[in-house]
Amino acid sequence: MKSLQQPSAESSQAYLAEAGSRLADLCTACGACFDACPMARLVPALAGVSPTSVTEGLRSLARGETGPVETVAWVGACARSGVCVSACPERDKGLDAMLLVRIAKQRAINDTGQLPAKHDAHAFPRVKTFARLQLTDEELDRWL
Amino acid sequence: MALTGNRLTFWFGCNMLRHAELIRLSMQLLERAGFDVEAAGGPGYCCGTPHDHAPVAASAMASRTVERFNAASQMEGRGTVVTWCPSCHMHMSDIMSPGNATQFDIAHITEVLADAGDKLAPLLVHPVKRRVLLHRHIGFATHVPVNDRVASILARIPELSLVDGPAVPGHMCSSLGGVPGALKGAVAETWQAAAASGCDTLATIFHSCHREVAALDGRDGITVRNWVHLVAESMGLDAGDAYRGWRQGEAPDAAAIARADPRLYAKLVEPELKKPLPI
Repeated sequence: MKSLQQPSAESSQAYLAEAGSRLADLCTACGACFDACPMARLVPALAGVSPTSVTEGLRSLARGETGPVETVAWVGACARSGVCVSACPERDKGLDAMLLVRIAKQRAINDTGQLPAKHDAHAFPRVKTFARLQLTDEELDRWL
Repeated sequence: MALTGNRLTFWFGCNMLRHAELIRLSMQLLERAGFDVEAAGGPGYCCGTPHDHAPVAASAMASRTVERFNAASQMEGRGTVVTWCPSCHMHMSDIMSPGNATQFDIAHITEVLADAGDKLAPLLVHPVKRRVLLHRHIGFATHVPVNDRVASILARIPELSLVDGPAVPGHMCSSLGGVPGALKGAVAETWQAAAASGCDTLATIFHSCHREVAALDGRDGITVRNWVHLVAESMGLDAGDAYRGWRQGEAPDAAAIARADPRLYAKLVEPELKKPLPI
Protein backbone atom coordinates (compact mmCIF):
# COMPACT_ATOMS: atom_id res chain seq x y z
CA MET A 1 0.00 0.00 0.00
CA LYS A 2 1.17 3.48 -0.77
CA SER A 3 0.27 6.72 0.91
CA LEU A 4 -0.37 9.27 -1.79
CA GLN A 5 1.38 12.61 -2.16
CA GLN A 6 -0.01 15.64 -0.43
CA PRO A 7 -1.36 18.08 -3.01
CA SER A 8 1.01 20.81 -4.12
CA ALA A 9 -1.33 22.41 -6.66
CA GLU A 10 -5.01 23.21 -7.03
CA SER A 11 -5.61 20.66 -9.77
CA SER A 12 -3.84 18.05 -11.85
CA GLN A 13 -3.62 20.52 -14.69
CA ALA A 14 -2.00 23.12 -12.43
CA TYR A 15 0.40 20.53 -11.10
CA LEU A 16 1.49 19.49 -14.58
CA ALA A 17 1.97 23.12 -15.57
CA GLU A 18 4.26 23.66 -12.58
CA ALA A 19 6.05 20.31 -12.75
CA GLY A 20 7.16 20.66 -16.37
CA SER A 21 9.48 23.59 -15.75
CA ARG A 22 10.60 22.32 -12.35
CA LEU A 23 11.61 18.90 -13.67
CA ALA A 24 13.22 20.47 -16.74
CA ASP A 25 15.37 22.59 -14.42
CA LEU A 26 16.55 19.47 -12.60
CA CYS A 27 17.44 17.73 -15.87
CA THR A 28 21.07 18.07 -17.02
CA ALA A 29 20.38 16.68 -20.50
CA CYS A 30 22.98 13.95 -19.97
CA GLY A 31 21.10 11.53 -22.21
CA ALA A 32 21.07 8.61 -19.75
CA CYS A 33 17.29 8.25 -19.95
CA PHE A 34 17.37 8.08 -23.74
CA ASP A 35 20.21 5.58 -23.71
CA ALA A 36 18.25 3.31 -21.37
CA CYS A 37 14.94 3.55 -23.22
CA PRO A 38 13.88 0.28 -24.90
CA MET A 39 11.43 2.10 -27.14
CA ALA A 40 14.09 4.36 -28.64
CA ARG A 41 15.62 1.28 -30.25
CA LEU A 42 12.36 0.52 -32.03
CA VAL A 43 12.05 3.89 -33.77
CA PRO A 44 14.13 4.03 -36.97
CA ALA A 45 14.24 7.82 -36.93
CA LEU A 46 16.13 7.71 -33.64
CA ALA A 47 19.00 5.56 -34.88
CA GLY A 48 22.30 7.38 -34.40
CA VAL A 49 20.88 10.53 -32.85
CA SER A 50 22.71 12.28 -30.04
CA PRO A 51 21.21 11.39 -26.63
CA THR A 52 22.25 14.73 -25.21
CA SER A 53 20.58 16.61 -28.07
CA VAL A 54 17.40 14.60 -27.60
CA THR A 55 17.33 15.31 -23.88
CA GLU A 56 18.20 18.95 -24.35
CA GLY A 57 15.08 19.05 -26.49
CA LEU A 58 13.21 17.24 -23.73
CA ARG A 59 13.88 20.16 -21.41
CA SER A 60 12.57 22.60 -24.02
CA LEU A 61 9.40 20.63 -24.69
CA ALA A 62 8.64 20.21 -21.00
CA ARG A 63 8.75 24.00 -20.69
CA GLY A 64 6.31 24.32 -23.54
CA GLU A 65 8.89 25.36 -26.12
CA THR A 66 9.27 23.78 -29.53
CA GLY A 67 11.56 20.76 -29.50
CA PRO A 68 13.65 19.08 -32.18
CA VAL A 69 11.98 16.39 -34.28
CA GLU A 70 14.06 13.63 -32.67
CA THR A 71 12.83 14.59 -29.22
CA VAL A 72 9.26 14.70 -30.44
CA ALA A 73 9.65 11.24 -31.99
CA TRP A 74 11.08 9.92 -28.76
CA VAL A 75 8.45 11.29 -26.37
CA GLY A 76 5.78 10.17 -28.83
CA ALA A 77 7.08 6.61 -28.56
CA CYS A 78 7.04 6.52 -24.75
CA ALA A 79 5.31 3.37 -23.50
CA ARG A 80 6.07 4.01 -19.83
CA SER A 81 8.62 1.25 -19.56
CA GLY A 82 10.05 3.25 -16.68
CA VAL A 83 13.69 2.30 -17.21
CA CYS A 84 14.56 5.97 -17.50
CA VAL A 85 13.60 6.57 -13.88
CA SER A 86 16.40 4.51 -12.40
CA ALA A 87 18.82 5.47 -15.18
CA CYS A 88 18.53 9.16 -14.34
CA PRO A 89 21.49 10.42 -12.25
CA GLU A 90 19.34 13.26 -10.94
CA ARG A 91 16.69 10.96 -9.51
CA ASP A 92 17.80 11.55 -5.93
CA LYS A 93 17.27 15.26 -6.45
CA GLY A 94 13.63 14.63 -7.32
CA LEU A 95 13.75 14.19 -11.07
CA ASP A 96 11.19 11.63 -12.23
CA ALA A 97 12.37 11.11 -15.80
CA MET A 98 9.25 9.23 -16.89
CA LEU A 99 7.03 12.05 -15.67
CA LEU A 100 9.24 14.58 -17.44
CA VAL A 101 8.89 12.65 -20.71
CA ARG A 102 5.15 12.40 -20.21
CA ILE A 103 4.79 16.12 -19.63
CA ALA A 104 6.96 16.82 -22.68
CA LYS A 105 4.66 14.59 -24.73
CA GLN A 106 1.60 16.48 -23.51
CA ARG A 107 3.26 19.78 -24.37
CA ALA A 108 4.09 18.49 -27.85
CA ILE A 109 0.40 17.68 -28.33
CA ASN A 110 -1.23 20.65 -26.68
CA ASP A 111 1.26 23.52 -26.69
CA THR A 112 3.68 23.20 -29.57
CA GLY A 113 1.40 21.19 -31.85
CA GLN A 114 4.24 18.89 -32.85
CA LEU A 115 2.42 15.65 -32.06
CA PRO A 116 -1.09 14.80 -33.21
CA ALA A 117 -3.66 14.06 -30.53
CA LYS A 118 -4.53 10.39 -30.55
CA HIS A 119 -8.03 10.41 -29.26
CA ASP A 120 -10.56 7.66 -29.83
CA ALA A 121 -13.93 9.37 -29.54
CA HIS A 122 -15.57 5.95 -29.39
CA ALA A 123 -13.53 4.66 -26.47
CA PHE A 124 -16.05 5.43 -23.75
CA PRO A 125 -19.15 4.47 -25.77
CA ARG A 126 -17.36 1.22 -26.65
CA VAL A 127 -16.60 0.20 -23.06
CA LYS A 128 -20.13 1.17 -22.02
CA THR A 129 -21.48 -1.12 -24.73
CA PHE A 130 -19.24 -3.93 -23.50
CA ALA A 131 -20.56 -3.25 -20.00
CA ARG A 132 -24.18 -3.54 -21.09
CA LEU A 133 -23.37 -6.80 -22.84
CA GLN A 134 -22.19 -8.41 -19.64
CA LEU A 135 -23.09 -6.64 -16.43
CA THR A 136 -26.32 -7.07 -14.54
CA ASP A 137 -28.50 -4.04 -13.86
CA GLU A 138 -27.31 -4.05 -10.27
CA GLU A 139 -23.65 -4.14 -11.34
CA LEU A 140 -24.19 -1.32 -13.80
CA ASP A 141 -25.87 0.72 -11.11
CA ARG A 142 -23.34 0.06 -8.36
CA TRP A 143 -20.04 -0.05 -10.18
CA LEU A 144 -20.22 2.67 -12.82
CA MET B 1 2.59 -1.73 4.77
CA ALA B 2 -0.67 -3.25 5.96
CA LEU B 3 -4.00 -1.94 4.70
CA THR B 4 -6.02 0.30 6.97
CA GLY B 5 -9.14 -1.65 7.87
CA ASN B 6 -10.77 -4.26 5.70
CA ARG B 7 -13.10 -2.09 3.63
CA LEU B 8 -11.83 -1.13 0.23
CA THR B 9 -12.78 0.13 -3.18
CA PHE B 10 -11.69 -2.01 -6.12
CA TRP B 11 -10.98 0.51 -8.90
CA PHE B 12 -10.94 -1.61 -12.02
CA GLY B 13 -10.60 1.19 -14.58
CA CYS B 14 -12.38 1.70 -17.89
CA ASN B 15 -11.22 -0.97 -20.27
CA MET B 16 -11.77 -3.83 -17.85
CA LEU B 17 -15.45 -3.48 -18.72
CA ARG B 18 -14.62 -5.83 -21.60
CA HIS B 19 -13.84 -8.51 -19.04
CA ALA B 20 -16.72 -8.74 -16.58
CA GLU B 21 -15.55 -12.10 -15.28
CA LEU B 22 -12.19 -10.63 -14.31
CA ILE B 23 -13.89 -7.90 -12.30
CA ARG B 24 -16.14 -10.38 -10.52
CA LEU B 25 -13.34 -12.89 -9.89
CA SER B 26 -11.03 -10.17 -8.59
CA MET B 27 -13.71 -9.13 -6.14
CA GLN B 28 -14.19 -12.72 -5.05
CA LEU B 29 -10.47 -13.16 -4.47
CA LEU B 30 -10.31 -9.97 -2.42
CA GLU B 31 -13.35 -11.07 -0.43
CA ARG B 32 -11.79 -14.46 0.24
CA ALA B 33 -8.71 -12.64 1.45
CA GLY B 34 -10.95 -11.05 4.07
CA PHE B 35 -11.90 -7.71 2.56
CA ASP B 36 -15.23 -5.98 2.20
CA VAL B 37 -15.17 -4.88 -1.44
CA GLU B 38 -17.10 -2.37 -3.51
CA ALA B 39 -16.18 -2.06 -7.17
CA ALA B 40 -15.87 1.19 -9.10
CA GLY B 41 -14.88 1.87 -12.67
CA GLY B 42 -15.90 2.94 -16.13
CA PRO B 43 -15.89 6.46 -17.56
CA GLY B 44 -17.44 7.92 -14.39
CA TYR B 45 -14.26 6.97 -12.55
CA CYS B 46 -11.82 7.92 -15.29
CA CYS B 47 -8.34 8.89 -14.12
CA GLY B 48 -7.83 11.21 -17.07
CA THR B 49 -4.99 9.32 -18.71
CA PRO B 50 -6.79 8.81 -22.04
CA HIS B 51 -7.33 12.56 -22.33
CA ASP B 52 -3.82 13.94 -22.52
CA HIS B 53 -4.97 15.95 -25.52
CA ALA B 54 -7.59 17.72 -23.40
CA PRO B 55 -5.88 18.81 -20.18
CA VAL B 56 -8.81 20.77 -18.77
CA ALA B 57 -11.20 17.86 -19.18
CA ALA B 58 -8.62 15.37 -17.94
CA SER B 59 -8.01 17.45 -14.84
CA ALA B 60 -11.75 17.70 -14.17
CA MET B 61 -12.12 13.93 -14.52
CA ALA B 62 -9.24 13.39 -12.10
CA SER B 63 -10.85 15.70 -9.54
CA ARG B 64 -14.24 14.02 -9.87
CA THR B 65 -12.75 10.58 -9.39
CA VAL B 66 -10.75 11.64 -6.34
CA GLU B 67 -13.89 13.23 -4.87
CA ARG B 68 -15.82 9.99 -5.33
CA PHE B 69 -13.11 7.96 -3.61
CA ASN B 70 -12.87 10.54 -0.84
CA ALA B 71 -16.61 10.19 -0.32
CA ALA B 72 -16.32 6.39 -0.15
CA SER B 73 -13.57 6.80 2.42
CA GLN B 74 -15.50 9.28 4.55
CA MET B 75 -18.97 7.77 4.31
CA GLU B 76 -18.25 4.05 3.98
CA GLY B 77 -14.86 3.72 5.63
CA ARG B 78 -13.22 2.55 2.40
CA GLY B 79 -9.84 4.10 3.08
CA THR B 80 -7.94 2.07 0.51
CA VAL B 81 -8.40 2.11 -3.24
CA VAL B 82 -7.17 -1.13 -4.75
CA THR B 83 -6.21 -0.68 -8.37
CA TRP B 84 -6.13 -3.05 -11.30
CA CYS B 85 -5.02 -0.88 -14.21
CA PRO B 86 -1.38 0.23 -14.16
CA SER B 87 -2.23 3.42 -16.06
CA CYS B 88 -4.81 4.39 -13.44
CA HIS B 89 -2.42 3.49 -10.62
CA MET B 90 0.44 5.57 -12.01
CA HIS B 91 -1.84 8.45 -12.88
CA MET B 92 -3.28 8.53 -9.37
CA SER B 93 0.17 8.35 -7.82
CA ASP B 94 1.98 10.80 -10.09
CA ILE B 95 -0.59 13.29 -11.36
CA MET B 96 -3.98 13.05 -9.63
CA SER B 97 -2.86 13.17 -6.00
CA PRO B 98 -0.42 16.11 -6.39
CA GLY B 99 -3.34 18.14 -7.68
CA ASN B 100 -6.13 16.87 -5.43
CA ALA B 101 -6.39 16.23 -1.69
CA THR B 102 -6.88 12.49 -1.23
CA GLN B 103 -8.35 10.82 1.81
CA PHE B 104 -7.34 7.30 0.86
CA ASP B 105 -4.27 5.21 0.14
CA ILE B 106 -3.74 3.03 -2.88
CA ALA B 107 -2.46 -0.47 -3.41
CA HIS B 108 -2.40 -2.72 -6.43
CA ILE B 109 -4.47 -5.89 -6.32
CA THR B 110 -1.39 -8.04 -6.84
CA GLU B 111 0.23 -6.51 -3.76
CA VAL B 112 -2.87 -7.06 -1.66
CA LEU B 113 -3.36 -10.66 -2.71
CA ALA B 114 0.34 -11.51 -2.50
CA ASP B 115 0.42 -10.11 1.02
CA ALA B 116 -2.64 -12.21 1.83
CA GLY B 117 -0.96 -15.33 0.47
CA ASP B 118 -1.09 -17.27 3.73
CA LYS B 119 -4.82 -16.66 3.95
CA LEU B 120 -5.44 -17.60 0.33
CA ALA B 121 -3.17 -20.64 0.19
CA PRO B 122 -5.56 -23.01 2.03
CA LEU B 123 -8.23 -22.08 -0.52
CA LEU B 124 -6.10 -23.17 -3.46
CA VAL B 125 -7.28 -26.73 -3.25
CA HIS B 126 -7.60 -27.74 -6.90
CA PRO B 127 -4.37 -28.63 -8.71
CA VAL B 128 -3.86 -26.67 -11.89
CA LYS B 129 -1.65 -28.91 -14.00
CA ARG B 130 -0.34 -26.29 -16.36
CA ARG B 131 3.07 -25.21 -17.56
CA VAL B 132 2.68 -21.46 -17.59
CA LEU B 133 4.67 -18.62 -19.08
CA LEU B 134 3.82 -15.26 -17.57
CA HIS B 135 3.49 -12.44 -20.08
CA ARG B 136 5.54 -9.68 -18.49
CA HIS B 137 6.25 -6.04 -19.29
CA ILE B 138 9.12 -4.10 -17.77
CA GLY B 139 7.01 -1.04 -17.00
CA PHE B 140 5.02 -0.37 -13.82
CA ALA B 141 7.92 -1.76 -11.76
CA THR B 142 8.59 1.89 -10.90
CA HIS B 143 5.43 1.74 -8.80
CA VAL B 144 4.61 -1.91 -8.11
CA PRO B 145 6.79 -5.01 -8.63
CA VAL B 146 3.84 -6.59 -10.36
CA ASN B 147 5.67 -9.39 -12.17
CA ASP B 148 7.11 -10.68 -8.90
CA ARG B 149 3.81 -10.32 -7.10
CA VAL B 150 1.86 -12.30 -9.67
CA ALA B 151 4.57 -14.96 -9.77
CA SER B 152 4.44 -15.30 -5.99
CA ILE B 153 0.67 -15.75 -6.11
CA LEU B 154 0.78 -18.31 -8.91
CA ALA B 155 3.60 -20.20 -7.16
CA ARG B 156 1.12 -21.15 -4.45
CA ILE B 157 -1.15 -23.02 -6.86
CA PRO B 158 -0.69 -26.79 -6.57
CA GLU B 159 1.00 -28.43 -9.56
CA LEU B 160 1.24 -25.22 -11.56
CA SER B 161 4.69 -24.85 -13.10
CA LEU B 162 5.83 -21.31 -13.85
CA VAL B 163 8.41 -20.82 -16.59
CA ASP B 164 10.70 -17.81 -16.98
CA GLY B 165 10.13 -15.73 -20.08
CA PRO B 166 10.97 -12.37 -21.56
CA ALA B 167 9.92 -9.01 -20.17
CA VAL B 168 8.90 -6.77 -23.04
CA PRO B 169 8.86 -2.95 -23.19
CA GLY B 170 6.01 -0.79 -22.02
CA HIS B 171 3.72 -1.17 -19.03
CA MET B 172 1.10 -3.15 -20.91
CA CYS B 173 0.43 -4.05 -24.53
CA SER B 174 -1.76 -1.06 -25.33
CA SER B 175 1.13 1.28 -24.54
CA LEU B 176 3.04 -0.07 -27.52
CA GLY B 177 0.48 0.98 -30.09
CA GLY B 178 2.23 4.23 -30.95
CA VAL B 179 5.29 2.58 -32.47
CA PRO B 180 4.76 0.53 -35.62
CA GLY B 181 5.73 -3.09 -35.07
CA ALA B 182 6.29 -2.77 -31.33
CA LEU B 183 3.14 -4.58 -30.25
CA LYS B 184 3.59 -7.31 -32.80
CA GLY B 185 7.20 -7.76 -31.69
CA ALA B 186 6.28 -7.98 -28.03
CA VAL B 187 3.50 -10.51 -28.60
CA ALA B 188 5.68 -12.58 -30.93
CA GLU B 189 8.60 -12.65 -28.50
CA THR B 190 6.35 -13.77 -25.67
CA TRP B 191 4.46 -16.34 -27.70
CA GLN B 192 7.62 -17.85 -29.18
CA ALA B 193 9.14 -18.12 -25.71
CA ALA B 194 6.05 -19.95 -24.47
CA ALA B 195 6.16 -22.36 -27.39
CA ALA B 196 9.91 -22.92 -27.11
CA SER B 197 9.57 -23.66 -23.39
CA GLY B 198 6.90 -26.27 -23.95
CA CYS B 199 4.27 -24.25 -22.15
CA ASP B 200 0.61 -25.10 -22.49
CA THR B 201 -0.58 -21.80 -21.02
CA LEU B 202 0.28 -18.15 -21.51
CA ALA B 203 -0.86 -16.10 -18.52
CA THR B 204 -1.54 -12.42 -18.94
CA ILE B 205 -1.31 -9.93 -16.10
CA PHE B 206 -3.25 -6.99 -17.51
CA HIS B 207 -6.48 -6.62 -19.43
CA SER B 208 -4.93 -4.85 -22.41
CA CYS B 209 -2.50 -7.72 -22.96
CA HIS B 210 -5.28 -10.25 -22.54
CA ARG B 211 -7.26 -8.38 -25.15
CA GLU B 212 -4.41 -8.73 -27.63
CA VAL B 213 -3.40 -12.35 -27.13
CA ALA B 214 -6.80 -13.91 -26.39
CA ALA B 215 -7.37 -14.34 -30.10
CA LEU B 216 -4.31 -16.61 -30.31
CA ASP B 217 -5.79 -19.09 -27.83
CA GLY B 218 -5.21 -22.63 -29.05
CA ARG B 219 -2.36 -21.89 -31.41
CA ASP B 220 0.66 -24.17 -30.85
CA GLY B 221 -1.33 -25.98 -28.16
CA ILE B 222 -1.17 -22.93 -25.91
CA THR B 223 -4.21 -21.59 -24.10
CA VAL B 224 -4.49 -17.99 -22.91
CA ARG B 225 -5.57 -17.26 -19.35
CA ASN B 226 -5.28 -14.29 -17.06
CA TRP B 227 -3.54 -14.84 -13.75
CA VAL B 228 -6.85 -14.27 -11.98
CA HIS B 229 -8.41 -17.11 -13.98
CA LEU B 230 -5.69 -19.47 -12.76
CA VAL B 231 -6.13 -18.52 -9.10
CA ALA B 232 -9.89 -18.87 -9.45
CA GLU B 233 -9.51 -22.23 -11.14
CA SER B 234 -7.50 -23.48 -8.20
CA MET B 235 -10.19 -22.24 -5.82
CA GLY B 236 -12.87 -24.05 -7.79
CA LEU B 237 -14.51 -20.84 -8.95
CA ASP B 238 -16.09 -20.56 -12.37
CA ALA B 239 -13.30 -18.99 -14.42
CA GLY B 240 -15.03 -18.22 -17.68
CA ASP B 241 -13.67 -15.88 -20.32
CA ALA B 242 -16.34 -14.53 -22.64
CA TYR B 243 -14.01 -12.06 -24.37
CA ARG B 244 -11.64 -14.85 -25.40
CA GLY B 245 -14.56 -16.76 -26.84
CA TRP B 246 -15.73 -13.73 -28.78
CA ARG B 247 -12.27 -13.22 -30.23
CA GLN B 248 -12.36 -16.86 -31.25
CA GLY B 249 -15.49 -16.30 -33.29
CA GLU B 250 -18.27 -16.87 -30.79
CA ALA B 251 -20.86 -14.14 -30.38
CA PRO B 252 -22.66 -12.83 -27.32
CA ASP B 253 -26.19 -14.18 -27.06
CA ALA B 254 -28.89 -12.27 -28.87
CA ALA B 255 -30.51 -11.02 -25.69
CA ALA B 256 -27.25 -9.47 -24.53
CA ILE B 257 -26.75 -7.75 -27.87
CA ALA B 258 -30.31 -6.46 -27.75
CA ARG B 259 -29.71 -5.09 -24.27
CA ALA B 260 -26.48 -3.40 -25.34
CA ASP B 261 -28.12 -1.95 -28.47
CA PRO B 262 -27.52 -3.87 -31.73
CA ARG B 263 -26.54 -0.69 -33.55
CA LEU B 264 -23.82 0.15 -31.05
CA TYR B 265 -22.72 -3.48 -30.92
CA ALA B 266 -22.26 -3.55 -34.69
CA LYS B 267 -20.49 -0.20 -34.80
CA LEU B 268 -18.29 -0.31 -31.72
CA VAL B 269 -17.81 -3.88 -30.53
CA GLU B 270 -17.92 -6.19 -33.52
CA PRO B 271 -15.00 -4.55 -35.38
CA GLU B 272 -12.78 -5.02 -32.33
CA LEU B 273 -13.75 -8.66 -31.96
CA LYS B 274 -13.00 -9.31 -35.63
CA LYS B 275 -9.76 -7.38 -35.92
CA PRO B 276 -6.74 -9.21 -37.34
CA LEU B 277 -4.61 -11.41 -35.11
CA PRO B 278 -1.61 -9.64 -33.57
CA ILE B 279 0.83 -12.19 -35.00
